[in-house]
Amino acid sequence: MEITSNFHIGPFEILYPLKPSVPFNQYDGKNIFPGRLFVVEGIDGSGKSTQLSLLHKWLESKGYGVVFSEWNSSPLVKDTTKLGKKKKLLTPATFSLIHATDFADRTERSILPLLKAGAVVLCDRYVYTAFARDVARGMDREWVRDLYAFAAKPTVAFYFRVPLETAIGRLLGARDGFKYYEAGLDLGLTDDAEDSFRLFQGRILEEYEKMIPEFGLVVIDATLPVEVQQAQMRQIAGKHLESAKNLRTRP
Amino acid sequence: MRQTYGKQLPAMTLSGLAGKLIVIEGTDGAGRTTQINQLKQWLEELGHAVLDTGMTRSRLAGEGIHRAKEGNNLGHVTQSLFYATDFIDRLENEIIPALRAGFIVLTDRYIYSLMARATVRGMDPSWLRSIYSVALRPDAIFYLRIGLDQLLPRVVFSRGFNYWESGMDLFPGHDMYDSFCMYQTALLAEFDRLSEEYHFETIDASADAETVCKHLKARILEALGPPAPQAVALPIYLDLMETLDERLAGILTPGRDIAEEQPPQDMPVALHAPIAQPLRETGLL
Repeated sequence: MEITSNFHIGPFEILYPLKPSVPFNQYDGKNIFPGRLFVVEGIDGSGKSTQLSLLHKWLESKGYGVVFSEWNSSPLVKDTTKLGKKKKLLTPATFSLIHATDFADRTERSILPLLKAGAVVLCDRYVYTAFARDVARGMDREWVRDLYAFAAKPTVAFYFRVPLETAIGRLLGARDGFKYYEAGLDLGLTDDAEDSFRLFQGRILEEYEKMIPEFGLVVIDATLPVEVQQAQMRQIAGKHLESAKNLRTRP
Repeated sequence: MRQTYGKQLPAMTLSGLAGKLIVIEGTDGAGRTTQINQLKQWLEELGHAVLDTGMTRSRLAGEGIHRAKEGNNLGHVTQSLFYATDFIDRLENEIIPALRAGFIVLTDRYIYSLMARATVRGMDPSWLRSIYSVALRPDAIFYLRIGLDQLLPRVVFSRGFNYWESGMDLFPGHDMYDSFCMYQTALLAEFDRLSEEYHFETIDASADAETVCKHLKARILEALGPPAPQAVALPIYLDLMETLDERLAGILTPGRDIAEEQPPQDMPVALHAPIAQPLRETGLL
């Protein structure tokens, strides 16, 4: 049976998802993205968000156009994630996919266009968070990496390395308890939230350690004083901005 | 034993999936819904328990996708992954438990439609195959094939142009008619490629609904093979079928693994699992 048609497909753009092996500023060989992408990674309680907000202030004071994007914050997707968490509908696979959907929306809507426009984009958690958490939940390592093949490769990915007990000590002082998925209670390792958190975050730490050489994460010792960590971050980020004076919103 | 297209999800057990997975594929307007409604009734009359499922019907992501599509700002990668989330939720929480309970699962589209739509939107085919490598291989894939010239009057004259069916997200600036033609032509071409790769059984869907249904029934009987002794219709079972549908939601609760619950020893032989267990679940036994 022949499919008959008098119509021809018009020329429309094929935008294959970006491959992580291709640096984002060369991904199609034509468009060079002028922006910069700095991301922070680490377990809860590693102090990465504090460090990123200090970097943000510094970059702004230098006159750069800075935009911040947070994990799990897409307006299109977050209601679904919330529903899944509240009703405990998420399995390791759907947990992984709904977070990838959220990340895709932020990538398509803001991260890529902003990099094209020449902004400095800061991300609190990036694809490495998914790689660590999803694999700790039992997802196939390669499958999760493939899933995020559309992501832009960061200019620098900072990893805030902290011993588990230090992180837990910081968290226990600061909040009432651990949430269901955050503590990995969905895995049924143990019923006790704090024990489960400890086991689950331990697995996540192992995954982060493996990713340091795999993705060239820049390790910051998160047990050092805040000021020392920030000075290191600024020095490293500064190097990648030397050739980017034109990204400043003012001279 | 049942197989996936490559990878396995955590805690996914492929043994003991006694039911049959039957896929009905085709573009918008090929008549899938009409056929599935008839097939379901027919299969139930034959004494089979049937679960029908389809795109965006998941508890997790169905509503979220509908909301996202109301706006005009759903990107192509995001859209593809949102649909993948919906699919995997149904795979884990509906399709697999139903197969485990011995149901025939009739699915209105499967990974192939999802891949075709994403591919014409520029997604990398190998990326899509990696994501859907965790899907179960069906027992039969029926592709209701129809040309654009037959499709146009069916879709357009019955319900008018629809933004998404016309692929207006791909061809902004064109009118709905031009966009519809370009989009559906691209989809049909992609389906032909998929048909070869995944060995679809093609059914000429340009024929009238009755003829198409007759073809489908014949092919489904082949796919089902000879009836197992416990699948022969029992009078009591046929009566129960009428109320079974309403209770399905109760059986197929997320995370329940029906097969792992052992049936009691005094169960009559004729009502052996997998049929007995879902019936006990509904409180009918």
